[in-house]
Amino acid sequence: MSVSAPRCLLWSNDEPVVLDDYVSEEPRWCTGCGDLAILAAVQRLCRDEQLAREKIVFVSGIGCSSRFPHYMNTYGFHGLHGRALPVAEGIRIKRPDLHVFVNTGDGDCCSIGAAHWIHAIRYNMNMTVLLHDNEIYGLTKKQVSPTSPKGLASNTTPRGAYLDSLNPMETTLGVANVSFAAQAVDWAPGLLYDIISKAYKHPGCSFVRVLQRCPEYLPEHFDHWMDDPDQLLLLTHEDGMQVTPDLARIYKQQEIHDPMDLNRAREIASMKDRIPVGILYRNEQVPCYEDVLNPAGLFTPEVVRTNIEAELDKFTVWPAS
Amino acid sequence: MNVSIKQLIRFHVTGENADEQQMDDRGLRPALLAPYRDLTSLRYDYPLILVQGEREETSVRSLSSIVDELLQETAPHGIEGERMRKHCFRLETRIRALATRQVQGSLAELWDIAALELVSESDEETAWSLTKELNHARQRVPANGTVVDCDEKVTSVLLEHLWRRTYRARSHDALKRLDQLSAQLSQILEADFQTTRAARTPESLKGSMGAGVDDTFDFVALSDMLEKGARNSSVTERRRQRISAALAALQAQPFFVPESEGQNESDDGAARDFVFSSCTDAWHAFEAHTPAKIELLKAIATAELEIDNRYDESEHDELLAGFSEASLTQEDLDFFPSYLICMHIEACQGSEKAKLIELLCSGLPMKVLVETDDILAEPSLCEGQFTFGARSQQLATMTIGLNNAFVLQTTSSCLYQTRDRIECGLTYEGPALFSVYAGSHTNITDLPRYLTAASATQSRAFPTFTYDPALGADQATRFDVDDNPQAQTDWPLQNLAYEDEDLQRVSQDITFTFVEFAACDTRYARFFATVANQGSEDVLVPCGEYVTSSEGENGNKVPFVLMVDAEDVLQTCIVDDKLIQAARRCREMWHSLQELGGIHNSHAMRLLELERNEWEQEKEREIEQLKLQADTAPIEPGDQPIVDQVSAPPQDAPAADPEPVPEEPPSSDEAYIETPRCTTCDECTDLNGKLFAYDENKQAYIADITAGSYRELVEAAEICQVAIIHPGKPLNQAEVGLSDLIERAEEFS
Ligand SMILES: Cc1ncc(C[n+]2csc(CCOP(=O)(O)OP(=O)(O)O)c2C)c(N)n1
Ligand code: SF4
Ligand code: SF4
Ligand SMILES: [Mg+2]
Repeated sequence: MSVSAPRCLLWSNDEPVVLDDYVSEEPRWCTGCGDLAILAAVQRLCRDEQLAREKIVFVSGIGCSSRFPHYMNTYGFHGLHGRALPVAEGIRIKRPDLHVFVNTGDGDCCSIGAAHWIHAIRYNMNMTVLLHDNEIYGLTKKQVSPTSPKGLASNTTPRGAYLDSLNPMETTLGVANVSFAAQAVDWAPGLLYDIISKAYKHPGCSFVRVLQRCPEYLPEHFDHWMDDPDQLLLLTHEDGMQVTPDLARIYKQQEIHDPMDLNRAREIASMKDRIPVGILYRNEQVPCYEDVLNPAGLFTPEVVRTNIEAELDKFTVWPAS
Repeated sequence: MNVSIKQLIRFHVTGENADEQQMDDRGLRPALLAPYRDLTSLRYDYPLILVQGEREETSVRSLSSIVDELLQETAPHGIEGERMRKHCFRLETRIRALATRQVQGSLAELWDIAALELVSESDEETAWSLTKELNHARQRVPANGTVVDCDEKVTSVLLEHLWRRTYRARSHDALKRLDQLSAQLSQILEADFQTTRAARTPESLKGSMGAGVDDTFDFVALSDMLEKGARNSSVTERRRQRISAALAALQAQPFFVPESEGQNESDDGAARDFVFSSCTDAWHAFEAHTPAKIELLKAIATAELEIDNRYDESEHDELLAGFSEASLTQEDLDFFPSYLICMHIEACQGSEKAKLIELLCSGLPMKVLVETDDILAEPSLCEGQFTFGARSQQLATMTIGLNNAFVLQTTSSCLYQTRDRIECGLTYEGPALFSVYAGSHTNITDLPRYLTAASATQSRAFPTFTYDPALGADQATRFDVDDNPQAQTDWPLQNLAYEDEDLQRVSQDITFTFVEFAACDTRYARFFATVANQGSEDVLVPCGEYVTSSEGENGNKVPFVLMVDAEDVLQTCIVDDKLIQAARRCREMWHSLQELGGIHNSHAMRLLELERNEWEQEKEREIEQLKLQADTAPIEPGDQPIVDQVSAPPQDAPAADPEPVPEEPPSSDEAYIETPRCTTCDECTDLNGKLFAYDENKQAYIADITAGSYRELVEAAEICQVAIIHPGKPLNQAEVGLSDLIERAEEFS
């Protein structure tokens, strides 16, 4: 709804935004860090979608990856360890006009923030969640994380991690109301971009796990997967990811997977021999918490005041006359 | 009485009536209507309940559907629930009778009256259990609202009820949006104020803490500290005025009113400004509203631009000043309430008619109900040909021709069935015409309105159809005649069961034609004559059959309809040829509606015929050819018979997706980067930011091959984790250590 005839005129003074407009300070990540690839893909998406910088916000917790908002020339909130998601939910409720992105690490999301993660998936509020999963605590210098594979030697597990790792895709796909779950790797930028862009367009909580290299502490960790493109299994579908001929030439292992098929998505998620890349699950019919709540009116200061007064009035004791 | 065949034919051809008994002095009605003598004892669509409350999914319900739902929920299955069901059905009948007697009220009110009547008529013991059961049920009635019967007002009352619902929904959405804009606009001013010195004085700080603050805070000290960070307002005076003006316009708009609890349906303020009984009045109101609409739309645009911080005075001041009536778009108009006009066809004459057509052509959201209660004209006025429903039907078909208006033609007996279509028309973006036959008024028939309305539908005298441009671009999706009974046929076939003179049960299917409909109208009685059946069986033909046969086939036959008298005794009535002619025209008109609705479409049938002929010819040719081949070739066991091979459906062609030819990589002599695979890891750009640079997607490419050494190229190739840098052959043959470098570069060629 608006004055539509001259609307195009009214709104026509916008200069096209270029990628550099989304760039703020020089990233302090190590050279070779996979976070740089994620940053580039996100900046490209913002440029391609011509997102107004004041209409998007990046929210993060604590960790190397959580420095992401500093590097975006948009709104941002670098919050508390593990608490990116509740902050993002608050923003979503109060500022429905903003698109919310969340950047969280494997420690931030799957360890200290795990409770928030489960409920964020269940709430299904419209936001794009990027899990930068380097399978290690990077910022605190190589401590074991829930996603570190069993046997990984770290500063906290010098004799190797004791437990089987947690699989973030299996976990996400097991939560009620899940509506979008995808997996990407930072070293396949075309696919990464495509997946993040599909996540951005999904109406609901879109969860994307990005396997991310940390050359500083785990320099050869992903080499086995990276050196041989056949280690990736591309999930393609007419309703999911479609692969260009160039990429198809590199990544020959492909499976046609319907993103509505939750059972198959769970099987794919638990695959051990290959890294599935693409959209595992997408269901646009799952309602968003903010729409279900659908507050009847606006909570202006006046409304809040009146409501509080009304509550307090219930306890008023009138002096006996 | 026995009459000669000659006499019968004479009546049929000339309408002259020598000895036969004329129909109207016998109180006859079509035999198929015999079971509907007492409507109150039947469970049918009426009375309707105009349900109150926005949360209800349906806003119109039939009494029967409510009682059924109630019983489903409350009466136990099987024998235990039997008494409850019996009581509730008795009560339903009583409420229906009250509605027929025009007793006004809500369902709850009529329920109480009916319950009281039933209890007072029962003996003491039954009264007790009746009261108990009915009270129990009364608590659980799933919906309440005004009860309306199928009377002369029902269509306009129902339409207004549904229109109000759309008005309230639109009001609700618009107010939500406007409140949001107002709140966000006020926040701009408020946020600005909070940065100024005025907001940080001790008084102002104290005020912001609310009442009941004691001396815990030293507001003077607080103010001293906060004042240091204060600055002057950054909102210019011009901007402040613009925001204040937009705020005032958003808040003062007269079009939408907030709902208040327990509000009376017919009393929701602004709605009165949008409901009319004449097109001219509605048009005047529309014109009078336009300036205020423009102001509101300008305020909305200003607010949206301000909130997004995009208002550019050098550009937007002029654009908004130039905003006028001509700039209003369909989308803008749809933001505001639509206009409802309810009128009788009699009022639709002269200038009103011209205005009506103007409104329907205008594309404006004008919802017009045109009602009629006489579709058969006075027969004496048009001796040559009877016109039936001409004015209303012409209006509806003409409006279809306008292409952009929604049209629903129906009768009041179908209102419940077509309620969703009515809602579609009311929410349709643009004009809508509802042409409704409300049943005949009582001075031309002895039947209740519901019956004449239903007869008009059955007999195709006033068929139901919808034309909804919102559904698609072509006629097939827009036009619909499916709401008519047995829409595939000329006239619906219905079963008539009766006892003959020998008290034997007879059951036969007969059609309810236009002639039966005319027989309900007392003015047409003289076109019928009752005759004795005996002796004339060879001559008499049922009317439906007679009308559909050609003149030649009918020869010396005489058409008849079956009627019943007040005692439900079956009578055979022969029919004047003038009515038969009218019935034929009615059938032709129905055929053209059927065609529009895709039934027996002549174009499609012709095309089908053509295709079928071509297909058959081709197949024949192929069979001939195969036979010829078969004569010459030896037959293998298990061969498919030739004819099967020919007529087997064509197999799907294999997917002919040509494999795209991948681009050739450059020759291995040249240095290059597989840029689309670059992960922006900064390794190469850190090494030499001139040799390597990022493109517009932030992916590396060789920007200037002369800006670095071959050594750097090779080293970059070695550190690139995704191994996409290819150093090629060295350009400078004089570079030191070349042979070693060339060897190391081998791996990346
Ligand atoms: C409440 C709290 N506990 C612990 C820490 C210490 N801490 C900082 S970052 C971090 C883990 C970061 O790992 P991850 O989320 O995987 O991010 P990465 O650095 O790997 O990108 C920890 C434990 C903290 N900042 N706050
Ligand atoms: S420590 Fe690892 S995760 Fe952190 S910036 Fe460096 S490479 Fe990236
Ligand atoms: S080293 Fe490779 S991946 Fe890294 S920026 Fe250069 S080309 Fe891209
Ligand atoms: Mg980590």
